[in-house]
Amino acid sequence: MIDFEHVSKTYETHNDENVALEDINIHIDEGEFVFILGHSGAGKSTFLKLIQMEEKPTEGRVLINGQDLTKIKRRKVPYLRRQMGVVFQDFRLIPTMTVYENVAFAMRVTNISTKKIKARVPFALSLVGLEDKMDRLPDELSGGEQQRVAVARALAHGPKIIIADEPTGNIDPEMSLDIMQLFEAINKVNITVVVVTHEHELVNKLAAKYNNRVITLADGMVASDTAHPEVARRYAAKVAARSHDGYDDE
Amino acid sequence: MRFSSFTYLVGQGLHNLRANRLMTFASMGVLTVCMLLIGAAYLLGVNIDAMVEYIGDQNETVVYMNLDATEDQIAAADSAIRSTAHVVGVTYVSPQEVLSIYSDMLADYIDLESAFSSDNPFYPNYRVVVDSPDNIPTVKQQLEQIDGVYRVNAPLDLSNIFVSLQRTISYACYAVVGVLAIVSIVVINNTIKITVFNRRKEIGIMKLVGATNGFIRFPFFVEGVTSGLISAAIASGVVCGAYYALCRWYAENPTTLSQMFGGQLVPLTEVWYYIVGGFALLGFVLCGIGTATSIRKHLNV
Repeated sequence: MIDFEHVSKTYETHNDENVALEDINIHIDEGEFVFILGHSGAGKSTFLKLIQMEEKPTEGRVLINGQDLTKIKRRKVPYLRRQMGVVFQDFRLIPTMTVYENVAFAMRVTNISTKKIKARVPFALSLVGLEDKMDRLPDELSGGEQQRVAVARALAHGPKIIIADEPTGNIDPEMSLDIMQLFEAINKVNITVVVVTHEHELVNKLAAKYNNRVITLADGMVASDTAHPEVARRYAAKVAARSHDGYDDE
Repeated sequence: MRFSSFTYLVGQGLHNLRANRLMTFASMGVLTVCMLLIGAAYLLGVNIDAMVEYIGDQNETVVYMNLDATEDQIAAADSAIRSTAHVVGVTYVSPQEVLSIYSDMLADYIDLESAFSSDNPFYPNYRVVVDSPDNIPTVKQQLEQIDGVYRVNAPLDLSNIFVSLQRTISYACYAVVGVLAIVSIVVINNTIKITVFNRRKEIGIMKLVGATNGFIRFPFFVEGVTSGLISAAIASGVVCGAYYALCRWYAENPTTLSQMFGGQLVPLTEVWYYIVGGFALLGFVLCGIGTATSIRKHLNV
């Protein structure tokens, strides 16, 4: 479903190069629930931008459902994005639209008929427990509720993949668990879920409970992958070699 | 695109028009003023053209035949003149007719008819009307080549003045229209840019959930084109109304100068469709270009 094959991404600044990702190899299967864990600067945002086609890799290729994103034509990008539902840390709801309109709006832009929108928006909102707050504006909701609206919006057009970028970053701890459990429920209906976060404790707790796969990024590399223990050994060897090179240089 | 999506996008465009009413009002104001000036420049040009044409029609080229020209020569010259390109009217005036005209004019002083009854000094001549003052020099040259022609008198100086006046005014009008069109594009472009900037977050979300560029652009296009067409309607009303009043006033208050130029302006019935159609086209095209150029940068998400 999602494949990263020897993917590297380097950002060029005025007189410097910033390596965000280095030789990343990840395969995520259909229906998997994966946490992408890492500290700030580990390469999580770049990882997401590559999936969402906001950026292109410097080397290697990214595939979604077998489609090579490095070769896809620009005008085809919107249609590929429709296969995903994205949840952002800052919710990205439109403040002048009601809860209903925010969800309907995302469906409108993907050219879904009004009849379907009328049927599916209340359904999506009922899945996240907000069917009684359809007419509220986002500012009238708590952080957790706003994030649930964002989840409903991501789900409404029936995507095959849900991508969440630090979904608990702006909400309190009790709500965080609720949101994560919501993703677990979504995953139960065979939707692939990729949650990118830096919250180790929350991830450890949930991964232990639901047996989720956890991929840890560090310095732009895959430091560990619970589905592939050998990755951690390779990473450790690479780090050791680097520090050895460092001593040699000195 | 689905019909429901189309109506939704049109609705969004009209909603934006209301939501950004201050900016819309400002851009429509500037656009309307630009159109008024363009309309005034156009009407000035049209009327100068009509006046030059009228004066051109009044200034006949006179072809004098030799005094001793035979009837055969005169008849041959007649057909040669009529077949000359750009000649639209030919009237033959015999020496006897010229004598009668002058005789009538001077009837109170002298009896010209009897004085010149046996020895008429006037030349047989042709009064020739040329289609445009522009063509008078060429026609004059051709007429001089005809057998039996003594001299050709053409109002060249006058026609040159009118032609150069007509050209200068036409160029000035084109320049005014060009400059105002650029001003209009800049104004529309800025208005849409501000709207786009205010809604950049929304556009970003639309892009990330899979909206095509066309889908995002369409409401802005509707907004721009609607304000362009409203401006066109206002400008058409004002220009046509003011011109109608001017035509009436001009006809009701004749002066020597106005009589010299035909005594009336080009009637509104002959120009209104150019004004309304031109403004509508201008509003549509300018706003279309303004929208397309202002939104491009924000679509690269």
